[in-house]
Amino acid sequence: MQMVTEKLEGMDVWLYHGQIYIPNTYSAGAVGSRFLTTLRDKGMILGMRCSKCNRVYVPARSVCTECFAQIDEWVEVGDKGTVLTYSIDYETKPVMQPVEPPVVYAVIQLDGADSGFAHMLGEVEPEKLSIGMRVQAVFKPKRERVASILDIRYFKPIS
Amino acid sequence: MAKEPEYIRIAYKAPRPYDWSTGKYLGKVYAEAKENKKLVGNRCPKCQYIWLPPTPVCPKCKVDMGWDWAELPQTGTVYQYTYLVYPLWDPHYGEKWANPYPSATILLDNGTFYRHFLEEKDREKLKEGMRVQAVWKEDYNERGQGVQDILYFRTIEE
Repeated sequence: MQMVTEKLEGMDVWLYHGQIYIPNTYSAGAVGSRFLTTLRDKGMILGMRCSKCNRVYVPARSVCTECFAQIDEWVEVGDKGTVLTYSIDYETKPVMQPVEPPVVYAVIQLDGADSGFAHMLGEVEPEKLSIGMRVQAVFKPKRERVASILDIRYFKPIS
Repeated sequence: MAKEPEYIRIAYKAPRPYDWSTGKYLGKVYAEAKENKKLVGNRCPKCQYIWLPPTPVCPKCKVDMGWDWAELPQTGTVYQYTYLVYPLWDPHYGEKWANPYPSATILLDNGTFYRHFLEEKDREKLKEGMRVQAVWKEDYNERGQGVQDILYFRTIEE
């Protein structure tokens, strides 16, 4: 690989633009694995409901953050939701997500869920974003899904 | 029978970008290599040894080196070498270098020690004391990476 060096203007100093990659691997766990395989196999977003406080968590999680109860009830939530908050990333270098900048990140409350779900928005003009706008999940075609959170390509605005 | 649950492993590579500056001493070496294909070091005012990589303070005499530069000869003698089997890692990008040339400490003809690669990969032909000469990257635009502007040292007959 060609190294990138640059001589600084007016100085006898050279700058290296280095970039190393740190490989990471972790297990999605029992609950996370079921969430992801359902996403892949059925194109369906699952949450879990706490039997004590009735909150529905998306993505699914096995312990309630409010009452610390063990959760074991799976529920299906809709693929439509409401934007709780968003952020536009124009300077996404290096690109963590396989999309071109600008990337619009958003926290979405899916219909039937009580928690926010972080993902990206697509097919959207950054100027036309607003909190509270309605969005819908756009899934990848089934043969491209690999049980990743990116099996949902993005959420697109709906009227 | 209940189906065995499928467990998902999530793998990703986290990029860690960083900038690294040579400083002005090493910057002089980079500039001479790129512009003139010259190997330069700085000379200690006390012991007269020429250091490459250059240094602001002489490691032997612990005195200020000043700004006294000298061109180094590009021929030398293999002082010692090691045959690399496992490829080196590029420290800036974390990738494996494709060509693991033998790595050698070369005694340049003025008496400066310098570490670089040898072109000769045949183990039978490698020996201490062999005469070598620097081979530069010829393309101006490919130079600008300091010591890596020299590809390797080639065996010469004298």
